[in-house]
Amino acid sequence: MAAVNEDRLQAVEQLQRELRAITATVEHPNGLCTVTASAKGELRAVHLHPALLGHGAHAVGQVVTETARLATDAAVQTSFNRMALALGDGMAIDVESVTGDAPFRSAAHPVVPPEPAVEQAPPPRRRRAEVVEDPDEDAFFSNPFGRR
Amino acid sequence: MDDDVERAARKVRAVEQAVSEHVTRSGPITGRAWSPDGAVTVVATPGGPPQQIAVSPAALRMGPHGLAAEIVRVAEKAQRAASSRLHQTLERVVDPRELTAMGFPRHADEDEFGWRP
Repeated sequence: MAAVNEDRLQAVEQLQRELRAITATVEHPNGLCTVTASAKGELRAVHLHPALLGHGAHAVGQVVTETARLATDAAVQTSFNRMALALGDGMAIDVESVTGDAPFRSAAHPVVPPEPAVEQAPPPRRRRAEVVEDPDEDAFFSNPFGRR
Repeated sequence: MDDDVERAARKVRAVEQAVSEHVTRSGPITGRAWSPDGAVTVVATPGGPPQQIAVSPAALRMGPHGLAAEIVRVAEKAQRAASSRLHQTLERVVDPRELTAMGFPRHADEDEFGWRP
């Protein structure tokens, strides 16, 4: 029994080490910034595309902030996945019930409006108004091209 | 196992409520840090991604590599300040050793990070 407990403790410590080491690298949807972050939101690396600086100081701050959030969410999700692998889905669901949903299960927070999945259908063709023969119609204001 | 989980969940909820009430009184817990020349300012949360990263127009002259490195440096300082402030705020309701074990140690040199209450 003691040996089993020892094994469990070692397995838990190993899992904790692995979870601490997990990072995720995410590129902003605009392709101008890449951030590597840990699940605790620590920024391990930031890469800025030179073109991003041309968008101005405010945009740089906003894009890096958004990318950092996406990278952190991805690292948290990776941690959940790793935990589920080690402890089983049941335990992972139990953990979620205590700590809250994993990022990819909870509502998505896209930084840009998502593209429509399919090309937008062209607007419906308007039906031409039916020609009504009106003996009182004023020929001067009528459209000869649409009528004849 | 279910009992254990339920017990753990109950304990988490109890601590959460105590922490929540405490934080309601103290206000949001964040840490702030900035470059000496004001090029980059970061507001961080404890255990989460930076809440806000602000870059000054003059900072754009640092170039992409220099600016990226400065953002990483200032973000780390801001998060350490946030962790330290969380520790200070919660040490009355949560065992300080637990806070440190959870990754929220109290940093002695937090004043260097420009933390403002």
